[in-house]
Amino acid sequence: MPEPIQKEVILESIADGVFTVDTDWRITYFNKAAESITGISRAQALGRNCFEVFRSSMCEADCPLRRTFKTGKPVIGRSGFIITPDGRRIPISVSTALLRDSNGTIIGGAETFRDLSVVEQLYKHVTGRFTISDLVTSSPAILRIIERLPQIAASDSTVLLLGQTGTGKELLARAIHNHSKRKDRPFVAVNCAALPDTLLDSELFGYKKGAFTGADRDKPGRFDLAQGGTIFLDEIGDISPALQVRLLRVLQEKVYEPVGATSAARADVRVIAATNRDLARLVEEGRFRKDLYYRLNVIRIELPALRDRRGDIPALIDHFIWRFNQLTGKSITGVGPEAMSLFMSYDYPGNIRELENIIEHAFVLCDKGLIQIQHLPDHLVQHLAGQQPGKDLRSLARNAEAQLIRDALRRNNFNRLAAARELGMHKSTLFRKIKALGIEVPKGSRGSSSRKPAT
Amino acid sequence: MRLAISIWNNRVSPVFDASRQIELLDIDDGRIKARSTHRILQNDLVAKAAYLGQLGVDVLICGAISQPLAWLLASHRIRIIPFVTGSIEDVVSRFLAGKLPDPQMTMPGCWGRRWRSCRCKGWGWRVRLDPLKGGDSYA
Repeated sequence: MPEPIQKEVILESIADGVFTVDTDWRITYFNKAAESITGISRAQALGRNCFEVFRSSMCEADCPLRRTFKTGKPVIGRSGFIITPDGRRIPISVSTALLRDSNGTIIGGAETFRDLSVVEQLYKHVTGRFTISDLVTSSPAILRIIERLPQIAASDSTVLLLGQTGTGKELLARAIHNHSKRKDRPFVAVNCAALPDTLLDSELFGYKKGAFTGADRDKPGRFDLAQGGTIFLDEIGDISPALQVRLLRVLQEKVYEPVGATSAARADVRVIAATNRDLARLVEEGRFRKDLYYRLNVIRIELPALRDRRGDIPALIDHFIWRFNQLTGKSITGVGPEAMSLFMSYDYPGNIRELENIIEHAFVLCDKGLIQIQHLPDHLVQHLAGQQPGKDLRSLARNAEAQLIRDALRRNNFNRLAAARELGMHKSTLFRKIKALGIEVPKGSRGSSSRKPAT
Repeated sequence: MRLAISIWNNRVSPVFDASRQIELLDIDDGRIKARSTHRILQNDLVAKAAYLGQLGVDVLICGAISQPLAWLLASHRIRIIPFVTGSIEDVVSRFLAGKLPDPQMTMPGCWGRRWRSCRCKGWGWRVRLDPLKGGDSYA
């Protein structure tokens, strides 16, 4: 095999993206992996300026290739991110080299880049270093939270996160911590409902040697481990009255006493508490201390249930499919229209966690292409079938979609623009679906179109 | 109407997330009434979006932009014309002529996507994961 062809075969077979540019920054070569990582085909890339195609965070301020052209030295393993045509940030590392002809004249440069998405995902999972960018949302309610998040993170006040299970309370707590001045100190998460009360006491505050039988040495508590950082107390509504008193002291006086200790220890810890229970009601019922409730309720954030932010469902599905594609090596391309109708009409009592589990289930049964209804868990399909027995899946999905649109229209007083926004679809898509599904809209209802309402 | 364009070397900056400068244009009745350049000192996405909101920007023309930043800008009611490429003067004249977005001035691989002139209140019911294959469109 001639040498140039051999080189081409090698470049096409490697997992790293490679492109070359001439001295005018025009792309002259773009390998298969570069197509796959950037989401841009070779035909679209060739002849274009590299910064239009590569779109990296380094292009503007500190292009590694420009540096190589200036210094003549290669750059190895510079980190940054690129943005794909669908707006996804892909973390990458870049290396560069000069291209010379047989006379040694510089004729361009070569850039190789590696997709670090999996590494970053794993890193975030292991370290919990989630940031605002990790919150997948276009929901106005969540965006309002995100807008306030930097100020909330900058303050040292106690935060109370309210929301059903699986709505992302811990993710938000981690994001607050990672945007705060305490970000380089520990983030310690404790599920208060997972331990019996006596164990939770020593788990939170630690104990001293000899405090009880078997305490043969000092054990630091979670508050001690979180010194200088943040402690996340999940399921705070489930703690006993005795523990509520001890926690109140920490919040009021910033001190606590390990079990068996004779003196108090200082707690330089920010507290973020969370619960899926109605704390105000627990206070009314006398099951939660009023003073502790007010101490916790300094900054209160309510996370909406997934069924109240349905517009985010497609983006979340997109995100989870992308993540499971990375982790499993499969190439699932999306969700079929009927399955999507099902996804959009389901109520998700387990919220985002349940959606993630449904996608994981589908990944087991679907090898490639689109996720279809047959790949979804039985309970999801039965949920629809139970509502309308005797119908085939296609018409079930159609009916579910129609019902979803009707509900959204009703909630928005038949204002089609508002309903389209809530459903996360373009207004013309909604108009088309209203017509196709034969949904009746009262005459004179608001919408930007002059079209007659479908009947 | 206040238009912002993220700029770099007299061109639209390739990545708005990393962009450091914007040009502000006050446009009235299809004519430019005032023009000024501003540094963007904010690295943080939330702060960057808030800064444009404070400047009273109605429309942003930019290069590549990440979804989280687009969503944040949308929450400030800023309309985005993303993935635009070309010289500032060409972009401004196309905009004033009402011809943006324009396939000739769109970054490779980005024309016809759901991003086009989005107010970003919703992304449409689309799941498109592999841009090379096009994926499935439900919109």
